[in-house]
Amino acid sequence: MTAVEVTGLSKAYDGTKVLEGVSFTVRPGELLAFLGANGSGKSTTLKCVIGLTKPDSGSIRLHGTEVCQLQGAAQVKARSQAAMVFQKIHLVPRRTALDNVCSGGLMRVQGLASTSPAFFPKNLKEEAMACLDRVGLAGSALERAGKLSGGQQQRVAIARALCQRASVLLADEPVSALDPHAAEQVMALLAELAHTENLAVAAVLHQPDLAIRHADRAIGLLKGRIVFDGGTPALTDQVLDTLYAPDRIAA
Amino acid sequence: MSAAPDISRAPAASAPSAALLVRRLPVPKSRRRMARNSFTATAVAILVVLHVIAFNSTGFEPALLVDGAQGMGRFLAESFPPDLDWEKVLKPSLEATLVTLWIGLLGTTLSIPTALLFAAFASETTTPHPLVYQAARAILSFFRAVPDVVFALIFVTAVGLGPFAGVLALICHNTGVMGKLWAEAMEESDQGPVQALSSAGASKLQQTFHASIPLVIPQFVGLLLYRFDVNVRSSLVLGLVGAGGVGLLINQAIKSFQFDQMLTHIIVVLILIVVVDQASALIRRRLAA
Repeated sequence: MTAVEVTGLSKAYDGTKVLEGVSFTVRPGELLAFLGANGSGKSTTLKCVIGLTKPDSGSIRLHGTEVCQLQGAAQVKARSQAAMVFQKIHLVPRRTALDNVCSGGLMRVQGLASTSPAFFPKNLKEEAMACLDRVGLAGSALERAGKLSGGQQQRVAIARALCQRASVLLADEPVSALDPHAAEQVMALLAELAHTENLAVAAVLHQPDLAIRHADRAIGLLKGRIVFDGGTPALTDQVLDTLYAPDRIAA
Repeated sequence: MSAAPDISRAPAASAPSAALLVRRLPVPKSRRRMARNSFTATAVAILVVLHVIAFNSTGFEPALLVDGAQGMGRFLAESFPPDLDWEKVLKPSLEATLVTLWIGLLGTTLSIPTALLFAAFASETTTPHPLVYQAARAILSFFRAVPDVVFALIFVTAVGLGPFAGVLALICHNTGVMGKLWAEAMEESDQGPVQALSSAGASKLQQTFHASIPLVIPQFVGLLLYRFDVNVRSSLVLGLVGAGGVGLLINQAIKSFQFDQMLTHIIVVLILIVVVDQASALIRRRLAA
């Protein structure tokens, strides 16, 4: 069964079409890269899936459940199968790495007990420790998130997504703010999580070479339409030219 | 045709031929700037007119000050030297100044819960409902608009003369000011982590406690210290309307023409304010580190 199934996704901002009939699937155990020039609709696609943007039309299924039609708590629950990793990381810098990871599991904590890290239940903290260990940062659990390096912070953010118990990981330019070495580490981690934990991982990337090295499959978007969907070995220079310099090809 | 200026080939300034390589291009005329200049001129003209009206309305007359300087001199001469009699002046002054400090302290800390609650309701990012937002904004505006002295007068009628009325007055006014400042701090902060928790399925309350508030703790404490500073100074004025503290002593000294005692009180107050100011600066530095 597919983890994410998107059919006929369309979105326009102020009359400008950003997405037009985008359909794709992400299977558990694969790392899918979204490629395309600025404004091609990569990020909007992810935001629609996670629910930060409302699509104009189309269907989004997470493990078979249509999430766009659901309301309220049911929608929150269905959406929480997917977790987002952001370009700007979005940790709370003054909180420890552990507390940040715990906040990914807030959905499972109810009432006043969930208002302060001091009240977090022991099992949540232990689960968060395991998630931190999974990204190789158990040793930095009690350090403030803001004191960690950019690459470490992004790994903490990935641990937060794991603590959410998400089976789908959506990463919006997860390595754009990182140096090449840290970018390599984070991409390797995402690929490893897909392959060993059987997560469905979709990442918007700006560097095709990262996609070729780490992803199993790539989707190329051009002006809101999918123009490439295939294994990364098929990402030839010609394909990339179509994606990033369509005008030059036409000329 | 002339080649484009090439800075890499420009010779050192000492070379006599340097001037020959310097090229100039006419700067394009900016219409925008002309429009902006006329706007600035209008604004300045309006401000000048407003100031003329203000001068006339307030009876601003420097000559009066010069003529009356003697009276002021006499007043100041009478207050020097300050009366430092321990039993009669200095001891009561120190005791009352401490009361002023305690009024300021309680007035600040006891308004934290109410200010936090209203700040959360009155911040766009944390409010549970737009109607709650509007209501909280209105209530905060009210508490801000009513001066603490007026609150003090009201509470004096309820709990009688004394510091307790002063504390209650400060709690009310400070809730209004700090609630607004905190709400704005939360609105201006980075919404990324809030969005991250929202997409992770955290409730609005959880987003508030685990993103919105922890993100602005340094600003919260900074504003709190600033308000403590202001409140200690306000509690001085509260003494004038009978709400306890050293303000009361200053008022009494003036009314009984004992200006040397007044000066002692003012010096003690000055020391208190400098100490409070330094202490809060120290805490803020520590916090920033």
